[in-house]
Amino acid sequence: MSRITAEARVLRLEDVAPDDGLRAVSEGRGDVPARGVERAAANDARRVLGLANISLAFGGVTALRDVSLDVAEGEIRAIIGPNGAGKSSLLNVVSGLYQPDRGQIRFGEHAFRRVPTAKLAAHGVARTFQNLALFKGLSVFDNVLMGLAHRVSAGFLRQIVGSPHARRIDAENRAAVEEVVSFLHLSDVRERIAGTLPYGLQKRVELARALVARPRLLLLDEPFAGVTLSEKQELSEHVRNARDRFGTTILLIEHDIGLVMGLSDRVAVLDYGRKIADGTPDQVRADQTVIDAYLGVAHEDETELAT
Amino acid sequence: MTTIISSKRSFFFPEIVATCLIAVVAIGAVPLVGSDYLMDAVLTPFLALALAAVGLNLLTGYAGQVSLGSAAFLAVGAYAAYNFSLRLPALPLLLDLVLAGTIAAAVGIMFGLPSLRLRGFYLAVSTLAAQFFVQWALTKFGWFSNDNPSGVIDAPVLRIGSVTFTSAAGRYLFSLGVVTVATLLTLRLLRSQTGRNFIAVRDHEVAAKVIGVPVLRTKLLAFGLSSFLIGVAGVLWAFAYLRTVEPAGFNLDRSFQILFIIIIGGLASLRGAFVGAAFIVVFPLLLSRVGAALLGSLFDSGVLEMSQRIVIGTLIITFLIAEPRGLIALWDRGWARLRAASGKAIET
Amino acid sequence: MFDYQFLLEVLIGGLLSGVMYSLVAIGFVLIYKTSGVLNFAQGAMLLFAALTFVSLVERGTSFVVALAATLAVMIALGIAVERAVLRPLVNQPPITLFMATLGLSYIIEGAAQLLWGTQVHGLDIGVSDIPFDVGGVFISRFDLFAAAVAGSLVALFTLFFRYTRTGLSFRAVADDQFAALAVGLRLPRVWAAVWTAAGIVALVAGLLWGARLGVQFSLSLVVLKALPVLVLGGFDSIAGAIVGGLLIGATEKLAEVYVGPLFGGGIEAWAAYVVALALLLVRPSGLFGQKLVERV
Repeated sequence: MSRITAEARVLRLEDVAPDDGLRAVSEGRGDVPARGVERAAANDARRVLGLANISLAFGGVTALRDVSLDVAEGEIRAIIGPNGAGKSSLLNVVSGLYQPDRGQIRFGEHAFRRVPTAKLAAHGVARTFQNLALFKGLSVFDNVLMGLAHRVSAGFLRQIVGSPHARRIDAENRAAVEEVVSFLHLSDVRERIAGTLPYGLQKRVELARALVARPRLLLLDEPFAGVTLSEKQELSEHVRNARDRFGTTILLIEHDIGLVMGLSDRVAVLDYGRKIADGTPDQVRADQTVIDAYLGVAHEDETELAT
Repeated sequence: MTTIISSKRSFFFPEIVATCLIAVVAIGAVPLVGSDYLMDAVLTPFLALALAAVGLNLLTGYAGQVSLGSAAFLAVGAYAAYNFSLRLPALPLLLDLVLAGTIAAAVGIMFGLPSLRLRGFYLAVSTLAAQFFVQWALTKFGWFSNDNPSGVIDAPVLRIGSVTFTSAAGRYLFSLGVVTVATLLTLRLLRSQTGRNFIAVRDHEVAAKVIGVPVLRTKLLAFGLSSFLIGVAGVLWAFAYLRTVEPAGFNLDRSFQILFIIIIGGLASLRGAFVGAAFIVVFPLLLSRVGAALLGSLFDSGVLEMSQRIVIGTLIITFLIAEPRGLIALWDRGWARLRAASGKAIET
Repeated sequence: MFDYQFLLEVLIGGLLSGVMYSLVAIGFVLIYKTSGVLNFAQGAMLLFAALTFVSLVERGTSFVVALAATLAVMIALGIAVERAVLRPLVNQPPITLFMATLGLSYIIEGAAQLLWGTQVHGLDIGVSDIPFDVGGVFISRFDLFAAAVAGSLVALFTLFFRYTRTGLSFRAVADDQFAALAVGLRLPRVWAAVWTAAGIVALVAGLLWGARLGVQFSLSLVVLKALPVLVLGGFDSIAGAIVGGLLIGATEKLAEVYVGPLFGGGIEAWAAYVVALALLLVRPSGLFGQKLVERV
C-alpha cells in the first residue's frame, strides 16, 4: 500500500531533544530507577502490574493458560512469542477488552477480575494498538490531546461557554501536548490530519497520545510491526527515552526478538498460551525450552487466535 | 493528490471571513433587495434545512452514528413548540424554542439508546423506529395537535418582546438569527473536548474507550445535541417557513433529504451543511426551469419529481465515489487554487 | 370467552404474510452476505421489476415473454450496478455503500416511474385470494401460494449454493473476501451475479406483492417492512430472514388485533421495529447473525 512510498518521506530524526525542552517529570514518584536487572527482584510495593493465573479461552480454543506475570516499576518488560501464542490476548486482558475466565489483574494495589476499560486512563495505564488506532480525522495535535480526554471534567455547556475551570484545564492539557509533541519530534506535522501521515509517523503519534498523560504503565502492542528498520531503531529509542525521562513502566509485546532483547530489562516468553520462560534477555536466550519452542523450531503459518 | 492545508489556518482564514461576509450581506442586503418569494420559498427553508443538517452532521458526520430518523425530530420540535405556545402562552417564544429543542433532545436520547449496543446498519435501521413511531404518535393522539382531526397545526405569530415577525422578511430574519446563534454555539462545541470526543468515537471507538473517553455518554450526548438542533430547525420549518404543517410532512423522504444534504455538502463540515442545504433548495427550482425550457409542457410536475429523484440519486453516488467530502471540498479546492493563482499574480 | 379459533386465524394469517416479508428480506441477505452491503435499493428493484413486467403485459406482451424480458432487464441492472456503483466504491466503509444504495433507490424509483408512469396497475397472476376453510380456520389461497413460491425459491437457492460452481464462489466470498480473492475468484463477477440473483428475488417478490397491493410506488416501501425482519434474523442469514419474517408477520398481526385497539390502531407501522429493537438489545447481531469476536 501507500506505506512503502510514504516511508521515503519520513522525517529524519535527530537524537533525543536536549533536556531544556523537558521538565523532569518524576515529582512525587521518587527517583527514576536506573536500568538494571536488580529491578527484577522488585518487591510488591514497586510492582506496577501483576497478573495472577490468567486463563482465557474463546469457545474451545485456549488463548491463555494460567499465566502469571509481574511488571516492576520503571522497567521495560517484554512478552515475546510466536503468532498465536496469546500475547495480544494478554494485553487485551490487561486493558480490560477481554475478561479472563480465571485469574486476577492488579494495578498497584487495585485488584480486578475484569479491568474496567473506561477507567484505565484514570489508573495511569495507557496503550497502543497493533494496527494503529489513531483518530484519522483529527490533527496530530488533537490526537495527542485526546490522550488527556479523561482529565476534562467540565460538562459540554461549560466547554461551550468556556468557564474558567474548563479553560484552565484546556490550557494545562495543551501545554502537556506541546511538550510530548516536541519530545517525539512531531512539531513539524502537528497540524497535519493524522490519517494522511506515513505509517511510521502515525505509530509515533500513537506513542505520543499514549505518553501525554504520563502513564505509570504503558502497554505497547507490537510497536515495531510494519515499520522499516530505521524506524524500528528510532521507535525503540523513543520507547527507552520515554522510560528514562518520564519514569514510565513499559510492557510491550513483540515477535521481533532481536530488537526486544536489546531494549528490555526482562522478557517473558509465551507459547500456546503458556508462559514458558521469564527472565533477563540473557537468561531467556539461553533457555532450552525457548530455543525449542520459539527460536529453534519455526512455527510457520500459525493463525493468530485473537490479535 | 489531495492537498493538506494546515487545519488551523484554513479554519480561521476563509471560513470566518467568508461567514462574516455572508452574514453581513444576508442581514443587510437581502430584505432590502430580495423579493418575498426569494425569502419565503428559498431562503427561509434553506435556513431551516441547513440547521437540521448541522444537527445531523453533528451526529453522523462528527460522531459517526448514522440516523435515518431526522424528520421525526423536526416534527417533535415543531409540535413541542406548538404545544408550549398553545398551553403556556405566557412563555416567550425564544424560550419555547429552547424547550422544544430540549424535548426533541430527550426523544433523541431515547431513540439513541440502542446506539449503546448497536452499530452500523443495525443502528441505522433502529433509528427508523423513531421515524415511524413519532409520525404515528402525532397523527394518533389528538392532544399533540390540539385535536385537529388530521394532526395539522398552525403556527403562532412569531414575537420577541413587542416585535413581531410576520412578513416574509421578518420570518427570514428571525430564522437567520436563530440559525446563526445555534451554528456558532455548535462550532464552539466542536472545537471543545466534546467535539474531539465525537470524532474519536467515530474514528476508533475502542481506542477512545481505552483513553478514557466516556463512549456511552458521548454517543448519547451526540444524539441529544443533534436532536436539539434538529428540533429547533423543526420549529423554524413549521413556524417561520410553512406556517401550517401536518405529521405527514415529516416523512422518511424528509429524513433522507437531510441525510443527502450532508452527503452532498460534506460530512463533518458545518459549512458543508449550509452548502448542501442551499443546493437541495435551489436545485429543484433550477431543474424545473431548465426542464420547462427544454421540454415545454412535457415537463409536468410528475416528470419533474421523477427526474429530480434520478438526479439526486446520481449525485449521491457520484459524490460518494468521486468526492466523499462533498461540495465543500470542491469549494475549498477551488478557493485554494484561486488564492494560489492570485498569489502568483501578485508575485509576478 | 377468548376466541382461540380467531387467534389461530390471525396467527396463520400473520405467519403467511410474514412469508412475504421474508421474500423481500432474502434479497437483502443475498447481497449482504457476499458484499457486506445493506442494499436499501432492494425495494426499488422490486418496484422496478413489477412495474416493468406489468407494463409489458399491459402492452400486449405474453406472460412468458414479459417475464423473460423483465428477467433480462434485472440482469442488466445487476451488472450495471456492479460496474457503476460497487466497483468504484470497493474497499469503502459499509456505511458509505449503504448510502450509495440509498442514492441507487432514488435513481431506480425515479427511472421506473419516469419510464412506466405513476398510475396504479392491477396485476393478476392467476391465483385467487378467496380463503378456504380448514377446520373452521380461514386461510388465504394467495398467501399459501406465496408461501409455496417463497419456499421453493429458498430451496432453489440452497441447492444452487451447495452444488453449483457459482454458488460455491458466492459462499467463498461471503466467508472471506480476501481469501476468495487470493484463490482467484473474480469479485466483480460474483457481485454482478449476486445482484442479478437479488434482482430475480425482487422480481418474484414484486409480482407477489404487486398482485396483492397493486403495482405502484408504495411497493418500494415494503423495504421498510423487510428491515425489521433483517434486524431480527441477522443481516447475513437466509434462515434468519425466514424465521424473522414469520415472527414479524405473526407479531404484527397479533399486535394489530390484540394490542392495537388500546392505542387506536395503526401500530403496524412501528410495532415490528419495536419487536426487532427489543430483541437487538439482547442479541446485538440478531437471532441468526454471526457474532464476531471483537478484534483489536
